[in-house]
Amino acid sequence: MMRSQAMREMDHAAAGGMVALQSCAYCGMAQYPPRSLCHACLSADLAWSRALSIEGVVLAATVLHHSHEPDFRSALPLRVGMVHLDCGPQAVCFVQVAEPGTRVRVTATLDAQGRAVLTAQPFSMPKETMG
Amino acid sequence: MNSDIVLVCPVTEPYVRRSEHDAAWFMGRVLSRLIAASGVGKADIDGLCLSSFTLAPDGPAPFLQYAGMSVRMLDWIPTGGACGIMAARRAIRAVAAGDAEIVACLAGDTANAGSFRDLLEGFSVFSRDAVYPYGAGGPNASFALITDHYMRKYGAVREDFGHLAVAQRRNAQGNPNALLRSPMTMEDYLGARPVASPIHLLDCVMPCAGGDGFLVMTRARADALGLASVRLLASIERHNAFSDDPMQERGGWLLDRDALWSKAGVGPQDMDAVQTYDDYPVISMLQFEGLGFCGQGEAASFLRGRDLTATGDLPHNTGGGQLSCGQAGAAGGYLGLVEAMRQLTGVATSQVARARHVLVSGFGMINYDRGLCTAAAVLAE
Ligand SMILES: [Zn+2]
Repeated sequence: MMRSQAMREMDHAAAGGMVALQSCAYCGMAQYPPRSLCHACLSADLAWSRALSIEGVVLAATVLHHSHEPDFRSALPLRVGMVHLDCGPQAVCFVQVAEPGTRVRVTATLDAQGRAVLTAQPFSMPKETMG
Repeated sequence: MNSDIVLVCPVTEPYVRRSEHDAAWFMGRVLSRLIAASGVGKADIDGLCLSSFTLAPDGPAPFLQYAGMSVRMLDWIPTGGACGIMAARRAIRAVAAGDAEIVACLAGDTANAGSFRDLLEGFSVFSRDAVYPYGAGGPNASFALITDHYMRKYGAVREDFGHLAVAQRRNAQGNPNALLRSPMTMEDYLGARPVASPIHLLDCVMPCAGGDGFLVMTRARADALGLASVRLLASIERHNAFSDDPMQERGGWLLDRDALWSKAGVGPQDMDAVQTYDDYPVISMLQFEGLGFCGQGEAASFLRGRDLTATGDLPHNTGGGQLSCGQAGAAGGYLGLVEAMRQLTGVATSQVARARHVLVSGFGMINYDRGLCTAAAVLAE
């Protein structure tokens, strides 16, 4: 599985049920997808914070009826959306709501290939249904 | 400026759904067609601008050895839907600067059962890390999000996208290079199966193999060779514009369009045809808006009352566009440009009457959540 070095930090965190988020230790800018330099000031001094979940708002959503990977085909249709994270950047997530403007809680889990994947669910849903 | 430098010999290596040939073969075939169409020798071509997604592990230098060429100007333009216009710009400057006398600009790609999946999975670091694991929907999924946002914010409906797609299919009917030529109605469009809502099958371009290209040289040389030529009045490019927009709803054209029209000395209303990058229809709408045909978010209502066929009041993607021709990888970034050249030299298969000015626009490289590269050019007879 091809994965950038920066993304592996998210994978490690997701293995423990946490979302890892990258930001710049110099200018404070949060960024996603994670990378090896700060996109704002180009500092290489990057920091990670971990949380059980992070918050955001759904910007747009789609229901996938087709996948280029056989592994996903049995899971179709899949709902995927773009979430504007409160800390700044946007993240593609599996979403449980289609309505833009919905506030969501974003958590990270490992998929079958060991990759951290983000799932967004509406705030109003009881916590025990998460995950 | 540079009005004595022209574009000649639009050629197409016919598109095919799948091929056992490699990308270099398609690019080499385009080169061969350029030589045949122009009458110049291979050794006379001393500049080369190349684009391909499936040439790897080769790049432009290995292609020179493959095709037995030696050049003194070599450019590799991996910007997808913006590559054709960018190649023309660079080739014209190279000839003007004396870096080359004849520049061949070409793009070609192959397609087989695994190539498209491989291309998607490895398309970019961000895509591989943060998009592909979410269902591997590829560009369908990314453009679905852009389309969903656009429809909700600006009130466009599926019929508005269908209006473009149906007209382009009409335009494709005489084009032997179009893979999809059978008549298509609005009912066909609306009844297509969902792929990634709100995108349905007939919003999607068909990945295929093929290639396109043209030559750039001085007008004197073109005249001496007896070649019909086209001038590039003005052109723009812009990359990673509006990166703070949460969702992509406009492109870099907006920043440079005034300079484009000012330098061209004509305006949107003077265009006898418009060739936009139509992967997907919503992106064509962003181009009409960004290039000043209408205001932000107004493309659906602007286009609704207009006839977009080659005989209509706003001929658009007159060869059928990628929606009807197919998308031969990077050649998709050349399709509008070679069609514009054919219109201006009177050899298009769905010919516009009195085509004197044609606008070509490009859009490329969905790296993460949006297309990063935009370009546009005004061409004249
Ligand atoms: Zn920084």
